[in-house]
Amino acid sequence: MVLVLAIGDLHIPHRAPDLPAKFKSMLVPGKIQHILCTGNLCIKEVHDYLKSLSPDLHITRGEYDEDVRYPENKTLSIGQFKLGLCHGHQIVPWGDLDSLAMLQRQLDIDILVTGHTHQFKAYKHEGGVIINPGSATGAYSSITYDVNPSFVLMDIDGLRVVVYVYELIDGEVKVDKIDFKKTATTQSAH
Amino acid sequence: MEPSLLDSSSTSQKRFPKLRGVRWRIDLGVLSSSLSVSIDDLRRAAADARRRYASLRRRMLMDFHLPRDVDRSPDLTMDNPLSQNPDSTWSHFFKNVELEKLIDQDLSQLHRAHGSFFQTPTCQTMLRRMLFLWCLRHPEYGYRRGKLLTCVYDINTDTVTEMHELLTPLVYVLLVDLDHLSQVQKAYESHFSNEFDEMSFSELTQVSDNRLRRSISGGMEIEKEGNQDGIAKVHSIDELDPDTKEILLLSDSYGAEGELGVLLSERFLEHDAYTMFDSLMNGARGVVAMADLFSSSPVAFEVSSSFYYLLSIVDSSLHSHLVELGVEPQYFALRWLHVLFGREFDFDDLLMIWDELFSSPNSICIDKNAKYRFKILCAPRGAFIASMAVAMLLHLRSSLLATENATFCLQRILSFPKNSDMKILLEKAKSLEILAIDSNKLLSSSQETSNKNKLAITRGYSLSLGSSSARTPPNQVPDSYWEEKWNVLHKATETMMRSNGFLDSSGMKFLGERSILSRTESHPSPADGGGRKNKHFSVRHKLLDDFSQDINSVVEHTNSIQSKFLVSNNIESSPLQVNAGNHFMEELNDDNNIRRMTSDCTAEETCLSGECSSIFSIATHCSLSKNKDNDLDKSSITSNSCICDNDQEASIMEELCCRSYNNQLVKDDEVVSAANDEPKSGQEFVSDDRKPLASKFQWFWKFSRSSAEGNLEKGGNQESERASAAENTKNGCSTPNFCSNQQFPRYISIRIVIACALILRVIETVFQQDRVQSLSLESFSNNILGGKGQTTAVSALKELRKISSLLCEM
Repeated sequence: MVLVLAIGDLHIPHRAPDLPAKFKSMLVPGKIQHILCTGNLCIKEVHDYLKSLSPDLHITRGEYDEDVRYPENKTLSIGQFKLGLCHGHQIVPWGDLDSLAMLQRQLDIDILVTGHTHQFKAYKHEGGVIINPGSATGAYSSITYDVNPSFVLMDIDGLRVVVYVYELIDGEVKVDKIDFKKTATTQSAH
Repeated sequence: MEPSLLDSSSTSQKRFPKLRGVRWRIDLGVLSSSLSVSIDDLRRAAADARRRYASLRRRMLMDFHLPRDVDRSPDLTMDNPLSQNPDSTWSHFFKNVELEKLIDQDLSQLHRAHGSFFQTPTCQTMLRRMLFLWCLRHPEYGYRRGKLLTCVYDINTDTVTEMHELLTPLVYVLLVDLDHLSQVQKAYESHFSNEFDEMSFSELTQVSDNRLRRSISGGMEIEKEGNQDGIAKVHSIDELDPDTKEILLLSDSYGAEGELGVLLSERFLEHDAYTMFDSLMNGARGVVAMADLFSSSPVAFEVSSSFYYLLSIVDSSLHSHLVELGVEPQYFALRWLHVLFGREFDFDDLLMIWDELFSSPNSICIDKNAKYRFKILCAPRGAFIASMAVAMLLHLRSSLLATENATFCLQRILSFPKNSDMKILLEKAKSLEILAIDSNKLLSSSQETSNKNKLAITRGYSLSLGSSSARTPPNQVPDSYWEEKWNVLHKATETMMRSNGFLDSSGMKFLGERSILSRTESHPSPADGGGRKNKHFSVRHKLLDDFSQDINSVVEHTNSIQSKFLVSNNIESSPLQVNAGNHFMEELNDDNNIRRMTSDCTAEETCLSGECSSIFSIATHCSLSKNKDNDLDKSSITSNSCICDNDQEASIMEELCCRSYNNQLVKDDEVVSAANDEPKSGQEFVSDDRKPLASKFQWFWKFSRSSAEGNLEKGGNQESERASAAENTKNGCSTPNFCSNQQFPRYISIRIVIACALILRVIETVFQQDRVQSLSLESFSNNILGGKGQTTAVSALKELRKISSLLCEM
């Protein structure tokens, strides 16, 4: 029952002033064990805020981040799953499934979390799961202006992960749920 | 495991003497407690309880990922992990997580490392699960209604610690039972062999036939197995002794309810422990429900005040001392109650206490319509708890009375000595239990006062340890009498005080004085009662001698005003003096109370202005303390003191006193003739001196009578002077109250100094004489002022000298 928050692309203060109020009220400390942040926060205050939600915070560097010390990629393992984190502006074409799958194989992970497109996406393919939490503030992107604020909460329990998607559509929070099950891992070739 | 301590008190022999776990289960109401219940019924009850727990467990430990019914699609806006809705399954989940965290915290601090079993992870998980389920089942004790998840326990986290301290002994006794069972099993292997496993169906019938034949015919070739230990061959189950037979039947897997009914089962340890814990907490439809004590403060407050109520009946001096110091019962009572004395005693002692506790039934034992004071005292179990607490307080009596500091008192109480003698404590508690139940009944006011007196009389009963239920007459004046007297006095003095604005300080002083003096009335421990009486006796008679001589001389110097003063003091302080006399004598030989003695000696001195009556009072006190079983004396003396105010009856009093002395002498002879080794010679010796005393006493009484016929002018000034004098001497230093009337205070102070000197001299002579006596009469040397006592008395003397020097300086 490990709760992992996947969030990113806030672009505070350049493109958005703050998280939507409804999101903020839902994100209370104490419930979430890990936070995976794709990047583009951009300032330290946002970093501190996220740190207050959970002590275990992982961030990768987005192109507008002011802190240059964040890594490009990050991998960690939670429960039975191996997770990977990357902002996604490095992978061209942006948001392309095959390229992302290539990164996933490269990092040897089950779940890859990327951002940059400001669009929520959740793909499943034979190697694993690719999740894009979108932009939590609904900040505009270079690809599209019509952005709904969204983020993702993963509930990892044994060999099963339940993905809850929280989207702010027309001022209301809509929740969706996707189930993923990990099959018994096959031995790697080496 | 030893059987319960007071088997004689229970009308029937307890079942399962070696199986504490089963006994407790019966007592707590988990299993039926009627004597005729069969093994099968016990098994069925156990099985039912276990089933209930199993279903509870299944229900409560929910699994979020179980596939839900298709038609019940959850509303995701409500049912997501971040939902703020308190009803969502996720918020329940988070609440439970918090609860588990709390329980974990306390379990890790499980300081009772009794056997390493409690530290093993299996045990920890088991305990955690049990507590968790109980808290879920009874949310009203764990959660505040309506609040969201953050604060799971608004009671402090100690609550969970305490709950699990209640739980661990229960688990422990079940484990011990299992141990015992395994021992029995080893001894009688053949009967426990589980032959039906690993056999095909055709073989089964053969085996069952064999078994049947074996039990009927009484033995065949089965003795091949399981007899290596050389135990006497047991052919059938009926040959076993009844206890083992019961154990066997209880744990037979093929009895009623099969495996679920096996009473001593490791598999169902958790279930059994949970049911015991549950019934302990909710009281099993009885009166004492532990859960109430945890949750609501009014109940806890009521229970702790019932302790003090019982204490006030049993030992009012200790009670008033504690109340005076401001030691509220809640400070220690809650700690005792919440874990049923778990923190005060070692584990094995605690098990003994709980044996007694659980054997007292929890049902209400008074009429439905009768009114009562305290709900907890309506059931024997509650009464036992209260009386146990009072017994513990009485155990600490001497050290509590010694200190004037509330924090020291509390510290002493809270660090109860762990090596106390359990038998004595438990016996005392048992004896007080009946008293507690009786005293709880609330009657109409007239009945109450008469009951009060009865209760006062029964106090002697309760204080005499080890005495049977025969109600021995009290060996001191009933408290209620003194209370009345003091009330009368206090009102009189208070009105005087108020008119002079001296009320607060002097009133308090009177209070303090009275309470200190009243301490004499309960004997701390009757264990050395016999010896002490002896000491008192010899010391006292010597003191009387010298007192009478000295006071003779002093009294002759008084002028008329002084006599009036004496008279007024006489009337007020005579009961106080009786107490003072008591007190002084007793404390002389009390090892623990040097300080108190000095302070109270000074208190006595203030009353010495009416010395004539003091003689009388000391004399009466002698007779008072001399004979425990002397009802006649009591009544005569009490009537004496009653009358002492009344001038007209002074003559009667005199006669009574003389008569009492004569009785005393008669009693002396009787006692002497009785089989009393040590006091014998002492009393003989003393009785000879009594006669001259009696004559002196008569002289004094005449004097007091004549002065009493004078003017009883209770000038307000005189009262204030006396009060201020009392205050003054208590503090041992000059006070501003002396500014008003210069003459009288000086006179009083001088007299007090004289009295001090007198006392000192008296004590010294006593010592000398005792030394002499010890040479001549060997028996005395054992009793009176043995080495230790002498040193303390000597140091007390030094203190007195200091005080007298201080007074001289004034």
